[in-house]
Amino acid sequence: MKINDALFGIVFVIVASAILITVQSFPTLPDQPYGPATFPTIIAIIMLLGGIALCISGYRERAHQPLIQIAAIMKTRDGLVRMASVPVFMVLYILLSKPVGFPIVVPVLLAAFLTITTRKWLLSVVIAVATTAALWLFFVDFLMVSLPLGILTKVIY
Amino acid sequence: MDVFYSALEQVFRPDVLLIILGSSIYGIVIGAIPGLTATMGTALLVPITFFMDPIPAIGAIVSATTMAIFAGDIPGALLRIPGTPASAAYTDEAYQMREKGLVELALGTNVICSMIGGLVGVLVLVLAAPQIAEFSLMFSSYEYFWLAVLGLSCAIMVSRGSAIKSTLSLTIGLMLSMIGIDVVMGIKRFTFGDTELVGGISIIPTLIGMFAITEILRKIGELRELPPVPPVHVSRMMSGVGSSIWKYKGGITRSSLLGTMIGALPGAGADIAAWVSYAVSKKFSKTPEKYGTGHIEGIVSASSANNAALSGAYVPTLVFGIPGDTITAILIGVLLMKGITPGPMVFVMDAGLVNAIFMVFVLANIIMVPIGIGAVLMSRHVLGIPQAILFPIILLFCVIGAYAANNTLFDVWVMLVVGLVAYVLEENDFPLAPMILALILGPLIEENFMKSMIKADGNLLDFFSRPVSGTLGVVTLAIWAVLIVMSLRNRHRKQTADIPA
Repeated sequence: MKINDALFGIVFVIVASAILITVQSFPTLPDQPYGPATFPTIIAIIMLLGGIALCISGYRERAHQPLIQIAAIMKTRDGLVRMASVPVFMVLYILLSKPVGFPIVVPVLLAAFLTITTRKWLLSVVIAVATTAALWLFFVDFLMVSLPLGILTKVIY
Repeated sequence: MDVFYSALEQVFRPDVLLIILGSSIYGIVIGAIPGLTATMGTALLVPITFFMDPIPAIGAIVSATTMAIFAGDIPGALLRIPGTPASAAYTDEAYQMREKGLVELALGTNVICSMIGGLVGVLVLVLAAPQIAEFSLMFSSYEYFWLAVLGLSCAIMVSRGSAIKSTLSLTIGLMLSMIGIDVVMGIKRFTFGDTELVGGISIIPTLIGMFAITEILRKIGELRELPPVPPVHVSRMMSGVGSSIWKYKGGITRSSLLGTMIGALPGAGADIAAWVSYAVSKKFSKTPEKYGTGHIEGIVSASSANNAALSGAYVPTLVFGIPGDTITAILIGVLLMKGITPGPMVFVMDAGLVNAIFMVFVLANIIMVPIGIGAVLMSRHVLGIPQAILFPIILLFCVIGAYAANNTLFDVWVMLVVGLVAYVLEENDFPLAPMILALILGPLIEENFMKSMIKADGNLLDFFSRPVSGTLGVVTLAIWAVLIVMSLRNRHRKQTADIPA
């Protein structure tokens, strides 16, 4: 996904300005002009200058650089679905793993994702269940990580 | 001698050896599969090293990356697809050798040269690092400040693409490093009232987001099945290797040393070492016209250089705590989590650890030969793993890895956001190496900058008052001057080119 430099420049200018405004409220060392704001101020100024430079170069290149150019693969339905599955998978994991439980959520999510990429649902289900079991053994039983059991907590304990 | 034996004892323990062996096999698989890089492999290892002692943790990273850089040569020679960016420089050359029926010779030479390059790098590391560390014991905050800034400046200079974008990438890393409790007065900065951010942005999810999620996003859109792998005969892998290596022994030595030096430059890693060595060896070759036609000389040089660079990167990492490449940036993150701050004091206080690291390097480079040959023979199976199955499983592993270190789902959010932002930035030619280096070096730079400012009472000339700090300061300013002149000249050239004749 190609984005015109000027748009990046604007984002950097906004972020840098926000930092410069935020650090105004930081205290300084007694009898010294320096403090927690000194270093962020320097970095934000560099960011601001870089952002302005990008705005200028992006504006100059506007004839060759459209504002946003979607990558060819993202224009195909399959490619876009596969790419979008990555953040969707993560968000669903974050929202569901605690209340529902890792051993239930992960096989379902993984099987769904594998079905999207392989288009073979049976194979996907088998791989998803096997992978979940292997990762559970590795992380929970071997590395002692407490992965959430969710609703299974009541069933087991 | 006692230190040597204690290091020997720490490395040659069954559990450590088993971890090194396991990581080596993991590294081979990661390196051989196109799309999975050595840096991504390291980022994925971090959550597991979190549960290990320092020596096995470092051993795991060192052996996995050593193998991965070699293994990148396997699909390069067999399928003309480099397994990692470090093999891209000579993929065509190796493939031309396959066309001539010499694929086994190419791969045999790759593995032996990788070992030689790696060992030369380790030798330089063993000889130079303690000396530099001893010298740098007298460094004050001024020298450390300049060293870190010099490191970041090098990272901008060597990164491909525009200096402005590299600098902006650097500022993002520095800003991320400032989230949390500040080093001067201990106040909360940029935490947005979130308690999770008070301790700073967690390094593990950030690394996985930056190097693994970006890679998954890039590859999953365009899933491709690799072409079938031709059969390989082990007997042919070793015949003729000795004579080729002997013939180009000068080139191997030169490339190994060059690779080590490039590796030691912050921001420049194995891939740049391979490109530069390939170009240099062509320049010095008696038969430069043979390059590109399946000539072994370039392969010999570049494949020793990329493994040498891997060891070279540990020189600034161990001596100053300034990472030489993205892999060592991750390693510093791992060491910091284990309460070890890399720097000259480690050489004094914990010589056993340093010697153990040296030993792990030697061991990893030696076992690379049998494991590497095994991997070439097994390449049909390794390269046969369908990417459609691989990437979803890696994503699940990333999610658990990000969660596991601190048992918090907030870290999975961090990984997701960092991954998406880094993906968009990289797609638009913002290099990620300066960002990760800045993230790791941020606290070091700020602490030494503030100490120096307070000592000097704001007088910036004091930053140049000591001989070493003065020299480092001048060199850093010179690099900036070069960067500014180069980017102005590029702009001027572009403008002149745009004006129609």
